[in-house]
Amino acid sequence: MSKRTEAYLQGVPTKPYDLLREGLIVLTLAVIAIVVLAAVFSSPDYPTVRGEDVAKLQPLAYLKTSANILAGNHSVQDYGPPYTSNTENAQSLYGIAPANWFGVTIPVDPSRDLVLQPLERVATLNPGVASALDTYQAASADQQQAWVSAYLDALDGATEESGVVTIPPGDYGPVATLMNGMLALGRAGLLEGALDSSDRLPYSLDYTKSLLFFLDDVDASVAEKLDMASDQWGVSHETGRYPGAWWLWPYTFLYQIPPMSSSGNADLEAVGIFTAAFLLLLLAPFIPILNRLPRALRIYRLIWRDWYRRRGCPPPR
Amino acid sequence: MNLTRSAQRLLTDNLSLEDALPTRLPAYVNSIAYLFGVTTLSALGLLVVTGVTMALFGPDWYHGRQAPGSGLGRFVNSLHFWSVQLFFFALVAHLASKFAMAAWRDGRWKTWTLGALALGVAIFTALTGFLAQTNWDSQWIALQAKDAMNAVGVGAFFNTMNTGQVLTLHVVALPLLLVLVVGAHLFFIRRDGPVKPIDAGKPNE
Repeated sequence: MSKRTEAYLQGVPTKPYDLLREGLIVLTLAVIAIVVLAAVFSSPDYPTVRGEDVAKLQPLAYLKTSANILAGNHSVQDYGPPYTSNTENAQSLYGIAPANWFGVTIPVDPSRDLVLQPLERVATLNPGVASALDTYQAASADQQQAWVSAYLDALDGATEESGVVTIPPGDYGPVATLMNGMLALGRAGLLEGALDSSDRLPYSLDYTKSLLFFLDDVDASVAEKLDMASDQWGVSHETGRYPGAWWLWPYTFLYQIPPMSSSGNADLEAVGIFTAAFLLLLLAPFIPILNRLPRALRIYRLIWRDWYRRRGCPPPR
Repeated sequence: MNLTRSAQRLLTDNLSLEDALPTRLPAYVNSIAYLFGVTTLSALGLLVVTGVTMALFGPDWYHGRQAPGSGLGRFVNSLHFWSVQLFFFALVAHLASKFAMAAWRDGRWKTWTLGALALGVAIFTALTGFLAQTNWDSQWIALQAKDAMNAVGVGAFFNTMNTGQVLTLHVVALPLLLVLVVGAHLFFIRRDGPVKPIDAGKPNE
């Protein structure tokens, strides 16, 4: 024993022990448990939401998503840093908005980056889309908005049969052609490629834009069906009947209670509370009351019941 | 100054071979509560082994989408998934039992703090693991988690939707940090030995 241990354990009876044997036995049991669980239950692997699937199976949802983004309705449109330069929508607490501290580091302009730029690629293959894109970009902002709004309204009365989308006639200008171009891009399985292309191609490991594309409607709807929406304890749930990130329950619980359940600053508030709780845990040895709590709980008497019993103390009830 | 002699003295004073690999323990170490720590370590070992295997063969292999051997890849993915569950179960049980024992007493606050820090690093490592799965979970969790990261300013440096960054963090940086913190935690455990029972030296209550 080291001098330190020798001094600490002076007068304390000891017993034989085999650290490596104990470790190997526990490891073996852990391996057996994991192998059995993996063999019997496998693991969750729910497929991704892909542009191709949405365009083929839910063309109206695909068109609505595209048109909403073009109309400037995407939730990232005026999000603030790190995506956009406006700062008024950043979450803040007592006037402090950490989101604004570092500015725009991941620039995203949804209507331009998620719709118009992919359409420029479609335009090189489809002269009709090229002409529609020219018309759209030459029009005033008000005119563009009027066309897209009319198109979005018309989508509510649109029908789809065997993949063919029929939209009531109206004054959509070039927007109907543009949206058909987006739908063709999706059906060809090229949406994500067009969204995530960068000057690093063929190497691109940043999927920010393609992940953001379906965020508002399609992904939210899938999450709702899988019990993974924010008000359903969100990310601590796993797909299917598998255990999820249950260790995040204390964190996701915060989103279910006021003020976080209805606050526009819910993330900042929840992270703040969770961080404070974690600091309490980290510094528990130094925090009065908290560091005396184990004595009050008396669970230690169960853990060391043999020790206390040997010393003539009855075991805890 | 002889550095080797100083190192010898440091080890003699703080960590003898008997401390590092004990063959005797205090008689009060006699409860299943003492097994949660070694269970956590075992699960961490399994996570490293299955994780490195998955990293070597790549996502198509462990998603079971590439023959031949893809069935084995999916199985290793399942081993990794259940190792995570075992790891957190044992870690939380270890933490709770050590709290109940007020195991920070007698100068063991460093051991406690490093253990709690390991929990924090493990939670963030697990988050990047969910993001690195490249399935629906990753897709949805990336979109959900981005708001919390952005709200606290971390989003400027850590983009949950940048899979390249997520993979590097999950496969290299965070496991390395976790192993370092756990290593320091183990050093203090072995150096100081198991804390005495509460009121061990006092008459029975």
